[in-house]
Amino acid sequence: MKHKNIISVFIFAIIVGAISLGCFFKPHTQYSESERRLLEKKPVLTKETLFSGSYTRDFEKYVTDQFPCRDSFRSVKALFSTYVFNKMENNGLFTEEGHISKLEYPVNSHMFDNAQQKFDKLYEKYMKDKNVNIYLSIIPDKNYFLAEKHGYLSIDYDAFIKDFKDRMDYMKYIDVLPMLSLDDYYKTDSHWKQEKITDVAQHIAQSMGADASAQYSEKTLDNPFRGVYLGQSALPFKPDTIKYLTNGILENCIVKYYDTGMAKEGDMYNMDKAYGKDPYEMFLSGTSPLITIENPSAKEDKELILFRDSYGSSIAPLLAPAYSKITVVDIRYIQSDFLGSFIDFDNKDILFMYSTTLLNNSMAMR
Amino acid sequence: MIFSSIAFLYYFLPVTLVLYFLTPRPLKNTTLLLVSLFFYGWGEPKYVFLMIATVLLGYVFGLLIERYRSKPVSKVFLTLSVLSSLAALGYFKYADFFIANFNAVTGLSIPLLRLALPIGISFYTFQILSYSVDVYRGETEAQKNPINLAAYVALFPQLIAGPIVRYCDVALMLKKREHSFQKINEGCCRFVIGLSKKILIANTLGELCTSFTQSADLSVLYYWLYVVSYMLQIYFDFSGYSDMAIGLGKIFGFEFLENFNYPFISKSITEFWRRWHISLGSWFRDYVYIPLGGNRVKRARMLFNIFAVWFLTGFWHGAQWNFIVWGLYFGILLTLEKFFFLKKLEKHPVIGHIYVLFAAAISFMIFSAENMGDAVSRVGGMFGIGVKSFVSAEFWFNLKNYAIVLLVACIGATPIMKKIKNHADSKWKNTFILDAFEILVPIALLVICTAYLADGSFNPFLYFRF
Repeated sequence: MKHKNIISVFIFAIIVGAISLGCFFKPHTQYSESERRLLEKKPVLTKETLFSGSYTRDFEKYVTDQFPCRDSFRSVKALFSTYVFNKMENNGLFTEEGHISKLEYPVNSHMFDNAQQKFDKLYEKYMKDKNVNIYLSIIPDKNYFLAEKHGYLSIDYDAFIKDFKDRMDYMKYIDVLPMLSLDDYYKTDSHWKQEKITDVAQHIAQSMGADASAQYSEKTLDNPFRGVYLGQSALPFKPDTIKYLTNGILENCIVKYYDTGMAKEGDMYNMDKAYGKDPYEMFLSGTSPLITIENPSAKEDKELILFRDSYGSSIAPLLAPAYSKITVVDIRYIQSDFLGSFIDFDNKDILFMYSTTLLNNSMAMR
Repeated sequence: MIFSSIAFLYYFLPVTLVLYFLTPRPLKNTTLLLVSLFFYGWGEPKYVFLMIATVLLGYVFGLLIERYRSKPVSKVFLTLSVLSSLAALGYFKYADFFIANFNAVTGLSIPLLRLALPIGISFYTFQILSYSVDVYRGETEAQKNPINLAAYVALFPQLIAGPIVRYCDVALMLKKREHSFQKINEGCCRFVIGLSKKILIANTLGELCTSFTQSADLSVLYYWLYVVSYMLQIYFDFSGYSDMAIGLGKIFGFEFLENFNYPFISKSITEFWRRWHISLGSWFRDYVYIPLGGNRVKRARMLFNIFAVWFLTGFWHGAQWNFIVWGLYFGILLTLEKFFFLKKLEKHPVIGHIYVLFAAAISFMIFSAENMGDAVSRVGGMFGIGVKSFVSAEFWFNLKNYAIVLLVACIGATPIMKKIKNHADSKWKNTFILDAFEILVPIALLVICTAYLADGSFNPFLYFRF
């Protein structure tokens, strides 16, 4: 080829130059929709930050986060890693049976111990001398159905669950494993689908001596659900669809949120959040430290206190028909020491319902 | 700043290239010096002054050595030049090692200095040393222009990770060098190949190595998988950096010598060290081994010379006992080869290859360790000592997960691809398809490497101990 060197240098110059100009002039982006995280801010240049090296370190993080067309480049990387290098996982995420999942390995024994200590502390402080029935139910993340079967590193779920329930000898264990399958989870997200867990809710309620049986009408959200793993994996994947269940009992329930310490009435299904960054947050408005669900149509005057993680957001409404009042607590967002100011534990059913993911990564529990 | 970063590729490098090619020829070295100081100051703002001071001392002593070359005082200036360069290296790199060992022997508890090691100090110190010695020997003239000498020492392509470029190899190029589209194109392609070796192979294998170091599920086969991955990671990282340096050098009109030449195809450790980190090996040969007498001395003295060189080679890589043991381990192997079985190995290449890979595996396990105790434990682990199982779940997963990368790395560590390219060149030279292929492959690799960087993938810098 005549002028091969000139053509080659010219192409290099155009590509590097174009990307470079993009880097210099691209407007600042604050938030990554796909990764659901705040991006690095431009560091401030001072004598201290310069000579400590923090300015240059932070600048390199900043320019990586602010790289033009970053999501497209992340997809190129994911595709190359997956289809050329045939890597089984990319950044800890893998795809099998049409699902994206995240490796949950190994067992973090200190996290596991931490979760136990938090529960023990709650028991000692609020439940030990009270007339309460305490239950535990552990929800497997979807690796339980995928990882070992397809040759991925996996924690021993049976041993994990057995070990934890053996430590919680003051709780009665409710086993939900037989009622779950991979199909009960979103394909692009870690969570379970509400429309698939009515039997789980009924089983849990029955195990606590309550009746959560009810007929629901199924509604479909007209907003595609790009689950948390979809953006993180950067692979081309079809989004999920969120369906949610409702009926007259749920519509009559009074839901109060205590995000600021004061009660604020809201909806069981938050339609603003349904069209927000994470549509799964429509269930009980996502992250909230304390919520009460009062059911005026309840047949019995029976109350439940539900300690839960995000899996609990979608199942709590399905337990509402069985109780006159459910208090939903997320100890990742409220100090356990403050609970006594808001909750009377006496004569209540108390359910600790947590996913294996959170028990294995329990640092956020307070 | 490291080459494999967004900040370098799309901020520093484009601006540098524009400035450099816009600068009139007589001022190009000044531009190179300024951008190199910025490059170094970006990562080490405090230590840029140390480097400037080292260069100034080298410059002054160089002139004095030349001025009094035939007189005894020139030796004094050479000694002062060597000592001043080594003093900085000794203080920043080795002070804590000596204090810790002194404390251990005497039972004292002299506090450690805990100084951050100036990046690249081992490389630029050796360059200054070689310059002073070459001027003393009369092999090169002293550089009269301090900008040119500073540009040589601080030249950013080879500043933080080598190769160790000798002044006499680039003295003429500092005065006059050619720039052409052919050289720029060759430089771009070489740079991208090095970048790909670093980002796609070395960093990916680095993930596997990190998994191993964090694992609680070790097994004999996992130790072996780790050491193979580590050998390849280090090779692709080091040789990738050398490729990037050589490529950048070409873009700016320099010709640096090759630093790696497929070391894993060697049939003896003697050959391995002719192919591995060539600039370091030849530096120790020319500035330590030969001045000590080399081979032309009595056997006992020659043994001393060999072990002195390998002790220093190990110590150069890091101020820890495992690096010293690593160097002496090679000293032992090289001595055994020299006196007993080098010729036999050359006659039986298959045995030679197996022996080299095995011996290199042991050496890299020592090299990878955090300390000497860790090195003993890791080498033991390769043979089942202190390891409960022969095979583990993590081994199988990582073998499957990294199989293609390992295969690509194994092929890339041999001259197979080079032979295929040479064959294609001879058969289809100047054909449109081959030319298009040669243009498009580096471009595609650059895009993929950029994608890895934009993703914020694992990207360690391995030279912080050097």
